[in-house]
Amino acid sequence: MSKISVDTDLIRELAALIEESGLTELEIEDGDYKLRLSRGGGIPVPVQMGMAPAGAQAAQAATAPAVAVETAAPDMADHAGAVKSPMVGTAYIAPEPGADPFVKVGDNVTQGQTVMIIEAMKTMNPIPAPQSGKVSAILVSDGQPVEFGEVLLLVE
Amino acid sequence: MFDKVLIANRGEIALRIHRACREMGISTVAVHSEADADAMHVRLADESVCIGPPSAADSYLNIPAIISAAEITNTDAIHPGYGFLSENSRFARIVNAHGITFIGPTADHIDLMGDKIAAKKAIAEVGIPVVPGSDGEIRDDQEAIAVAEKLGFPVLVKASQGGGGRGMKVVHAASEMAEALSSARSEARSAFGDDAVYLEKFLGQPRHIEIQILADGHGNVVHLGERDCSLQRRHQKVLEEAPSPALNTATRAEIGKIVTDAIGKLGYLGAGTIEFLFEDGQFYFIEMNTRLQVEHPITEMITGIDIVREQLRIASGTPLSVKQEDIAFSGHAIECRINAENPLTFTPSPGRVIDYHTPGGLGVRVDSALYASYQIPPFYDSLISKLVVHGATRNECLLRLRRALEEYVINGVDTTIPLHLDLLGQSDFMDGNYNIHWLENYIAEKQP
Repeated sequence: MSKISVDTDLIRELAALIEESGLTELEIEDGDYKLRLSRGGGIPVPVQMGMAPAGAQAAQAATAPAVAVETAAPDMADHAGAVKSPMVGTAYIAPEPGADPFVKVGDNVTQGQTVMIIEAMKTMNPIPAPQSGKVSAILVSDGQPVEFGEVLLLVE
Repeated sequence: MFDKVLIANRGEIALRIHRACREMGISTVAVHSEADADAMHVRLADESVCIGPPSAADSYLNIPAIISAAEITNTDAIHPGYGFLSENSRFARIVNAHGITFIGPTADHIDLMGDKIAAKKAIAEVGIPVVPGSDGEIRDDQEAIAVAEKLGFPVLVKASQGGGGRGMKVVHAASEMAEALSSARSEARSAFGDDAVYLEKFLGQPRHIEIQILADGHGNVVHLGERDCSLQRRHQKVLEEAPSPALNTATRAEIGKIVTDAIGKLGYLGAGTIEFLFEDGQFYFIEMNTRLQVEHPITEMITGIDIVREQLRIASGTPLSVKQEDIAFSGHAIECRINAENPLTFTPSPGRVIDYHTPGGLGVRVDSALYASYQIPPFYDSLISKLVVHGATRNECLLRLRRALEEYVINGVDTTIPLHLDLLGQSDFMDGNYNIHWLENYIAEKQP
């Protein structure tokens, strides 16, 4: 049996994301590779790494494209402060590569303020904050493909 | 061959396309509305992208959303299925403009066959017999009456941009013409955005017989025989069988040759179906569908050819895997379209499928996206399953069909399974002795 290689950089990055976003659980799936991180008792520690057998595909819920992060989606979608994507496209958290992001976790935003852009078919579409409040979580990364209805960030 | 295909459809046909791709090692992308997030093909596909809210206009007909989904998943080709955007030439052009292959004919051929007047003219020019009618568009009532008198009443007023049985009015006498024209025009304007109409002779008791063809880009055209789709209600097919009880080997070969020669002359690419009305031994062209058809499985059962696989091969530039002389017709096949509708009133019945058990055994195929606990959404058409049965003879097929229908369990919603069982008790149907008006007459007689 070959040695399982662990991408420690990825795990560190994901652990930081959990910390920053306030999520308790994070699961990634890409073909046979499945990684789940769970925060228990306030200590963010990677606990599990499993190889999902190929045949289990049919029994699993629909996977998001490539290495998209699958959050506890149903809870987030019903969250009062959820800002959902109105279209299919690519999410960008900054106006240009290298520029500062539109918003960071903890920022106060006013209703209508641009918090993100979604690129669809070569056009940039600004995403306005639906209400004023504080950004409590950003759930997508820069350049991540998003689908219709996907939760982009939380404004509470 | 493509690495990745996006399926721009839903329900049973999306599952059908996924299956063909999976068997060829092609990755699939299922685009879906919010209402279809738990659909079977979405669960099985390699990737899925939610493209909009439940309404078809905002999802399955939403060209920008579908193209965006194709871009973010690096799709090579899009299969449009049937209905939705499958015969939308604008969609085909946009797909191609993005460097993605549209699995279907060229946009120009979609346009040609979508315009019923132009299609009829083009088809007549390449030697296929057509229904006698007006020479193109009818401009005014006087012209209409003159043409109708020459053809002989009754005649049919048809919308040029119509098709699939929509936008047609029967006229029995000159006195009815003005009103029929005006109402046909206004319906056509609101349904198709174009009020151009033409006239055709109304055939009294024809059968609907269609021929399946495949054409690759290398000059090869084959026909896969005919399908008899005469059992219709409100121009929607209810049951189809292959071969037709009305044709013999000689007639089949003759019309098959006429059709393949003509399609060769057109330079058509892909799968297509030429629909005819057949009366008194004569074929009359009505329209050509430039897409996969709902009833394609019965052709697959009698020829052993996977039509969706051939579509994928043709679209990727591969020649056809068969020549006409390799194609043999074996046995008989029947498809029952099972809708989520009351079998007597045809009232739609969306809802949750509580118990689901499919029939099995030799020669039984079920093309359906249903599963136990599945919630049938109310936003789309009511076709929920196709029961396809094959037998060595038509008689064996009928007996097997009855047996399979009796085994099929779909509890929780109304379905038209009882209607199909009922048909199997009618001697006209068992004898193959029916035409396109038979089913509606039968249903009308059953009303209290």
